Amino acid sequence: MSISALNSYLPKLCAQPRATRTKAFAQPPTLAILSDPHVLRLAETFEDSIASAASSSSPAPPLQKLRDISSQSLLTTPWPSRKDEPFRFTDTSFIKNSEVQPVTLAPTPSLDTLSGLADSLFPSIAIIDGYLVDALSNLSELPEGVFVGRLSNLNSEVLMEKVAKYVSNFKGDLFWSLNGVGAPDLIIVYVPEGCKVENPLHLRFISMNWSEKGSKTLPVSNPRVLVLVEKGGEISLVEEYVGGDGDASCYWTNSVMEVVVGDGAKVSHSYIQTQSLGAAHVKWTSVRQESTSVYELTEVSTGGKLSRHNVHVQQEGPDTVTELSTFHLSIGDQLQDLHSKLVLDHPRGFSRQLHKVIVAHSLGQAVFDGNVQVNRYAQQTDAGQLTRSLLLEPRATVNVKPNLQIIADDVKCSHGAAISDLEEDQLFYFQARGIDKAAARKSLIFSFAAEVVEKFPFVTLQKKVENLIRTLLDPKLPSSEEDFSSYWFCTSCKSGSEHGGITKENSNVPFD
Amino acid sequence: MTTALFTPNFSFKISTSTPQRRRRCHFVRSSQATVAVETPSSSATDLLLQVKDLSAVIADSKQPILKGVNLTVRHGEVHAVMGKNGSGKSTFAKVLAGHPDYEITGGSITYKGLDLLEMEPEERAVAGLFMSFQSPVEIPGVSNIDFLNMAYNAKRRKLGLPELGPIEFYGYVAPKLELVNMKIDFLNRNVNEGFSGGEKKRNEILQLAVLGAEFAILDEIDSGLDVDALRDVAKAVNRVLTSENSVLMITHYLRLLEFIKPTYIHIMENGRIVKTGDISIAEILEKEGYKAISGT
Repeated sequence: MSISALNSYLPKLCAQPRATRTKAFAQPPTLAILSDPHVLRLAETFEDSIASAASSSSPAPPLQKLRDISSQSLLTTPWPSRKDEPFRFTDTSFIKNSEVQPVTLAPTPSLDTLSGLADSLFPSIAIIDGYLVDALSNLSELPEGVFVGRLSNLNSEVLMEKVAKYVSNFKGDLFWSLNGVGAPDLIIVYVPEGCKVENPLHLRFISMNWSEKGSKTLPVSNPRVLVLVEKGGEISLVEEYVGGDGDASCYWTNSVMEVVVGDGAKVSHSYIQTQSLGAAHVKWTSVRQESTSVYELTEVSTGGKLSRHNVHVQQEGPDTVTELSTFHLSIGDQLQDLHSKLVLDHPRGFSRQLHKVIVAHSLGQAVFDGNVQVNRYAQQTDAGQLTRSLLLEPRATVNVKPNLQIIADDVKCSHGAAISDLEEDQLFYFQARGIDKAAARKSLIFSFAAEVVEKFPFVTLQKKVENLIRTLLDPKLPSSEEDFSSYWFCTSCKSGSEHGGITKENSNVPFD
Repeated sequence: MTTALFTPNFSFKISTSTPQRRRRCHFVRSSQATVAVETPSSSATDLLLQVKDLSAVIADSKQPILKGVNLTVRHGEVHAVMGKNGSGKSTFAKVLAGHPDYEITGGSITYKGLDLLEMEPEERAVAGLFMSFQSPVEIPGVSNIDFLNMAYNAKRRKLGLPELGPIEFYGYVAPKLELVNMKIDFLNRNVNEGFSGGEKKRNEILQLAVLGAEFAILDEIDSGLDVDALRDVAKAVNRVLTSENSVLMITHYLRLLEFIKPTYIHIMENGRIVKTGDISIAEILEKEGYKAISGT
């Protein structure tokens, strides 16, 4: 049942509910009253584009399931406003006020025009505007039994069932569901039991369709990936988002990745987002971790006018290891947002989260909402969370909300937040060795990101990201120290757990 | 210009020095050949540092720490400052280096004929003033070799010499590691990050070896070290320093002074130098405590 079908019944629905075949219709009619017409219109647009792009054959059952669940949830999901806690500091009106146009046809770009994008050292797939392009993908080096490709190309029934079991096994927000309705196909990465994939898999998401700055239209793509790593399997993923140039290209990438890490399996996930400064980038990463599994996320996001990453990690068994290391850089009139949630329900989980942000523009903004839940049975959990933000311009803004919810009573948890200028002691150390203040500042600002960049599992990736950050930050850093007046003051308090915060003009630091 | 950009002079030959610049800092094993405390030459050219009636407060709280310090250091002299905790020894060292936590409220410091208080900390450093930190700060994300290279190039620029690229610099710095007994991978670690107490102290001395110094201020290089580690660090200092260097050591213990022999020992109390003498003061101190030599 599609949104459009449901939508056409809406008035009647409110008046007289009647039995139908679909689950959606079985909902209490009162819920339908809460439907947001804007959301329904958008969902309809997405559905139409899918319908026109799809071949005659009906979608595989897991994809159908995804679309059904998503349509159903969209019926009751309004467009988020600043009154909703998850969007309190994240203004999505840029997307809402645009005329959203799904990119329908799978583009067939010539290899020439994409030659720069085609070089990749790893086995790789290219996903252009949400569509997997075989001509630009190279999967020759993958071990036997590993499947990387479209759901529609999947022959194994066993695997199809597994996909059906895990797809959309989570309740996300509006954007999650919009992706479910708009995703043209599912991209599957499957690693069978005990298989250790030696080379990292590079997933390159490229936005090729965009509108010029100032135009009302916003081409949107909805890539969706499901990663299934069976018991004892191991894979390293490099997820990269590019597209457009400078701030002139406007588009919207609305991407979802679901990851299932089986017993004792390990997923190392590198995520690099350098999309156009005119783009909207909304991303969901939902991870389920079974017992003794390891999930490591390393992220560097510098692109997007509006960039939001939602990370949800759910522990499904004991003795898991979770490591989240993220670095966000806001060098223009842009918003970088990380919303993370880590739910620990089983004993002896170990987690470390490090989030670092630099805002280097007076209109730049960063948001961090990091939630860690240590529930009743998660005894002997060791959870640590730390966020540090560096504001380099007056009026640069950061809103951080690190929060721990602990119900278990035998745990080791820490969290902290610091928003500040550079450390005086570190600056003085440079100066005492003859290095002037401006050079010292520069060095310290670059090194601020290094703590995260060092977590990337490959040196080539580290170097690439290091250069990227250097190139972006260098013109932003004045060569004389006069430009950095002391706008700052930094306060910190110690109360049970470690806390710190700023007050700097319009910045605010809400604490739990 | 006496730049003293490190001369790899390991010898304990104390007789090589010129009459004016007699080496008074020497390694303990050569103490038979020790030179007696000399009558300070009053020649003005010999003067390196002159501190007059220096007073300073903590910048934030305005709490007075230094209350009229006087000190004269000539080329090649080794001075030791001792005193109780809180007497102002470390503050004195930091003020000399230009630490922003302190505000000068009176007096003057002349270094090589220049007004030191008018100089930025980095200008003081390139002019040959080196302070080894008592507890050096960790700098995650900046590797030791990059840091040293930056600092070394700052000094080269000042001297009008071409800067060294990473490869040339590596060639320059690698032999220095032996002086302080450190392995080559030490260079790739981040500055002081996760270093043990001994490693931090040795890293300070490595910086001294790389950058050189006409005037080295060693702030408690013996604190937190066991006897063996102390001997290692002191050995390294003796290898690095030559008769050209003047030294101001801050310490609590006679132990260090047995390794690096001072020309003068100053006792600091309540923000002032209250007594100056030779090694015998330290011996009295060791036996009888500060009461025995209190200035009041």
